[in-house]
Amino acid sequence: MKILIADDSRVMRQIVVRTLRQAGFGDHDLIEAADGQEALDKAVAENPDLVISDWNMPHLTGIEVLRNLRAAGNNVKFGFVTSECTPEMKSAAEGAGAAFFIVKPFTAERFDEVFAPILG
Amino acid sequence: MSVEVEVDESDLAEMVEQVWESYLDPEGVSPLIPTYDENQPSEVHSSVSITGSWTGHVVYASSRAAAKRAAAAFLAMELEEVSEEDMSDTLGELANIVGGNVKAMLPPGAQLSLPQVVLASESSARYPNAQRISGVYGMWEGEPVSISMWQVSTDNKEEGA
Repeated sequence: MKILIADDSRVMRQIVVRTLRQAGFGDHDLIEAADGQEALDKAVAENPDLVISDWNMPHLTGIEVLRNLRAAGNNVKFGFVTSECTPEMKSAAEGAGAAFFIVKPFTAERFDEVFAPILG
Repeated sequence: MSVEVEVDESDLAEMVEQVWESYLDPEGVSPLIPTYDENQPSEVHSSVSITGSWTGHVVYASSRAAAKRAAAAFLAMELEEVSEEDMSDTLGELANIVGGNVKAMLPPGAQLSLPQVVLASESSARYPNAQRISGVYGMWEGEPVSISMWQVSTDNKEEGA
């Protein structure tokens, strides 16, 4: 499977990649985007099976990326990894069709719990 | 109008503990040991601003050695491989993680800024009309690290000259 990791922090993208490996998902094809616009472009051009996105990013926020994809009829599995987690954000994410919401800091166990059902 | 902040020192301490458990000390061998010294020195710092239902700053400050060690832990590198950019990005992410967690505990209607990093002492920073309201201060493998919250006063009273 192809997984797109979108986060404007290079450090956090590396942590997400490492945590995916630690949780046993390192064999998947991992690609990265450094802001919201790049995430949207790559989600269309690269046709990933899963998008793991930060919320607060330059150009487009994660929720805007998700809404743009859904508005264009793209139903890629999409979820958030963010340090911010308010009830409004969670319900906005669910309303837009997000599949998961992971709060930073996270552990490999949390990744396993969320991604095992999705990635098998 | 400002609201009473609902994030206290024990909340901050819990967030910091989670950062240590997840990224900086997953083996549980080098925790942040509290010093309760709000005047401990720092050589680098990062911050995020929160505006809205609560207005202020969340600041992460440490020695360069502690920032380097944090970058090595975040990026899974050897200490000697850590560049200035690695250190700077790591400091930004640390402020972002703690700031995001603080924001989650505030009343609805708060906005979080992108992080700012300054490779200079926290004492070089000036937060206009802001007052430190809580903080966690400690030593990590003998190096100072602190996380503090600064509330901006939203009344426009003139201060004495």
